[in-house]
Amino acid sequence: MKKLSVDDLSAMRKELKKKKGSWIRVGCSTCGIAAGAKEVFDTLKEEIQKRDLKSLEVKQCGCIGMCYAEPLVEVMIEGMPKVFYGKVDKDVALKIVEKHVCGKMLLNDRIYDAKRSR
Amino acid sequence: METAELKETVQNIVNEWKDREGNLIMILHQIQNRYGYVPREVSLQLSELLDIPLARIYEVLTFYHYFKIVKPGKHRVSVCMGTACYLNGAPGLLNELEHLLGVSAGETTQDGLFQVEVVRCLGCCGLAPVMTVDGKIFSSVQKDDIAKILSDYSHKEPIFSSGDTGSQA
Amino acid sequence: MEKRVFIKDTNHVGKKERTRDFYTAFLAQLRERKLENDVQLIRVADIGAYNQGFVVHIYPDDFLYSNVEMQDIPRMIEESILGGKKIDDLVCHHISKQFRIVLRNCGVIDPRNIDEYIVHDGYQAIEKILSGYTPEKVLEELKTSGLRGRGGAGYPTWLKWQFTRNVPSDQKYVICNGDEGDPGAYMDRSVLEGDPHSVIEGMMIAGYVIGATKGYFYIRAEYPLAIERVKNAISQAYQYGLLGENILGTDFRFDLEIRLGAGAFVCGEETALIASIEGKRGYPRPRPPYPSVKGLWDKPTVINNVETLANIPVVILQGGAWFSNIGTGASKGTKVFALTGKVKNSGLVEVPMGTTLREIVYDIGGGSASQAKVKAIQTGGPSGGVIPEDFLDTPVSYESLQKLGSIMGSGGMIVMDANDCMVDIAKFYLRFCVDESCGKCTPCRVGGTQMLNLLERASEGTGKREDIEKLKKISLAMQRASLCGLGQTAPNPVLSTLRYFEDEYLAHIEEKKCPACRCGALFRYSIIQEKCKNCGLCAKNCPAGAILGDRESGYTLDQEKCTRCGRCFEVCRLGAIFRG
Repeated sequence: MKKLSVDDLSAMRKELKKKKGSWIRVGCSTCGIAAGAKEVFDTLKEEIQKRDLKSLEVKQCGCIGMCYAEPLVEVMIEGMPKVFYGKVDKDVALKIVEKHVCGKMLLNDRIYDAKRSR
Repeated sequence: METAELKETVQNIVNEWKDREGNLIMILHQIQNRYGYVPREVSLQLSELLDIPLARIYEVLTFYHYFKIVKPGKHRVSVCMGTACYLNGAPGLLNELEHLLGVSAGETTQDGLFQVEVVRCLGCCGLAPVMTVDGKIFSSVQKDDIAKILSDYSHKEPIFSSGDTGSQA
Repeated sequence: MEKRVFIKDTNHVGKKERTRDFYTAFLAQLRERKLENDVQLIRVADIGAYNQGFVVHIYPDDFLYSNVEMQDIPRMIEESILGGKKIDDLVCHHISKQFRIVLRNCGVIDPRNIDEYIVHDGYQAIEKILSGYTPEKVLEELKTSGLRGRGGAGYPTWLKWQFTRNVPSDQKYVICNGDEGDPGAYMDRSVLEGDPHSVIEGMMIAGYVIGATKGYFYIRAEYPLAIERVKNAISQAYQYGLLGENILGTDFRFDLEIRLGAGAFVCGEETALIASIEGKRGYPRPRPPYPSVKGLWDKPTVINNVETLANIPVVILQGGAWFSNIGTGASKGTKVFALTGKVKNSGLVEVPMGTTLREIVYDIGGGSASQAKVKAIQTGGPSGGVIPEDFLDTPVSYESLQKLGSIMGSGGMIVMDANDCMVDIAKFYLRFCVDESCGKCTPCRVGGTQMLNLLERASEGTGKREDIEKLKKISLAMQRASLCGLGQTAPNPVLSTLRYFEDEYLAHIEEKKCPACRCGALFRYSIIQEKCKNCGLCAKNCPAGAILGDRESGYTLDQEKCTRCGRCFEVCRLGAIFRG
């Protein structure tokens, strides 16, 4: 990888910002992992692959701060509100893919809509 | 562990860090990560390789809580005593552990299987109370969960991965 | 589905049926208007508002209503869902006042991928600076911003940097203090794990301003994941040429290394931290000379806390004036708190300075986790103090918390309820400081131990009236004569609990009672025979074998054998165990 100049860096940022599309994020900090985030992440990855949902990206991220609801999964499907699912386990992860991602319906009793700013 | 192998490992670690200033603590971290403690023969070897007095090494080893100079039990069970864990029942967990294993904090069971420790905050206050076994964190632990957690470890091999050494990128 | 409606009953009582009825009524009315295929109604687990009746959140218009009644359903459907208009008298006002600067990327980007940081305006501040900011201009922005150190002392960041910049030297250093020792604070871990590049960028800017070419991360060994993520971030920054020589094609050079702490609280103190990086015992030394003059390897050194550094790129990008608009008085910007203890929603919260403690504990934290009332909060960890519930309307700032006898500290905020004993809490923190005292100076080494003895006496029922005066006297000596911050602040938890809860101390000392039933020697358990149905659950669960008897003849509790573990109290479903 070549070393960046000021212009390279701005150009790169501009290019990266063009990327759009649906994604799922799993909070994988110490607290998330302690609550079982890794298993949730693997389940989601596997299920997305199984259903061949190529345009959907599953990513790891840091801690959003809602420790009481770990493991946390944030889902952004285009045309739907961006939501957090809390206390997610393997079963809920499977339901997220089936109902939310494929069925375009939000899950009952699992959303933590804490209206954080941003 | 084999003496020759041990010597070589220590030599390698020292080679990696030799030319960097203030390397002693980082070297000790790498050794403890590998063996679970810093054996006396390693300290002696370090004293020679780094050309510093043995007392200088022990001065550091005994100052920092993180370093151990006696061989730990096969599995390290640590109860977090951070404030949040303390308020949410960590003392009760420790009691239960001590009761089940028949040892006090800081001691190792006679069969050498479990060592019970109290640790400072692990930074998982949101999931209090927490305890760790060989670095794996168990969250919102209840007294009743402890027997089950311990029994899962009665047969496992230990992994000393509770800390990664920050050798430079 | 074009619209989504979130509903939540935010009051505790009668939850399930009430929610079901409301949900069914709402759904029926949607069906009546044949909207059931256009509007999805969702029960949510948490809606970010508490104790405000039914709260309804309508997407995508983002209307949030509270204290909604059944009869409000028709107009919500007509006006808001169909009409797209906000109904003013239903709008929810008590919502989370979080504002994210430090945690801007935490939980948003993949911390293991530098590109994700770059796309969220990462390394844009250093780019801006290297394209034409002089170090003086950066200092000017920082001065305007009013940013103060977030590690505890609250020293103006620009001043610290300027002092170091003005000392001539062939080599200078930048240190990131990630030795988060307060047992109950973990925002630094979260930032290092969730957004390591923002801290790296902050350190680069510090290096540029003071003229340092080398920086060190000092991170607790107890945070293995943070260490791994920072290590990875440093290596990616090197690959992109953002660290090393000729950064971004200029002649600015900056190198970074990681050094690990080894479990010594005193190493959070800057001179002790420096000794530790040098590979020595973490002993503090008298100041002056300050690290800005004589720091790491006797060279001028800037030491900033993780949270402070994570603020820097934003201050540069948005400008100092923007930053200074957030906050209050002499405390600008935001503060991250680790809200834990007996609170419903424990976690990290970031609020503008000036937000009241009550807003943090109730509007964000959701109040007490149990039925018990919130009694006090503790801020600042072992160096801080308690603030009783009556004072929760205080706006958060460095000065206001100090006035109450506590400190901002690194941002631990522990909620305590009626079941927590203030003498026990004071003892907990003091024992922490005694364990962590390095032993170098006498006031801290001896004073701490003596105070601890007095507190232990109180909780064992052998305390004397004059002990309270003694505690105050030793505290004063420690505050005045200790060498470093650890000893100077160690008496704070004792002093502040004495200030607000002297009655609890007196109850321990004079009445030999622990009102919160925490101090084992000062209360006992017994079986209330009238309520006992001889089920035997308590006897079965007692680890000490202190409950004697059988199902025929009934049970009694042997006080001699009882260890006050409380197991019987927890398991009895009839409330037949007396505690007091």
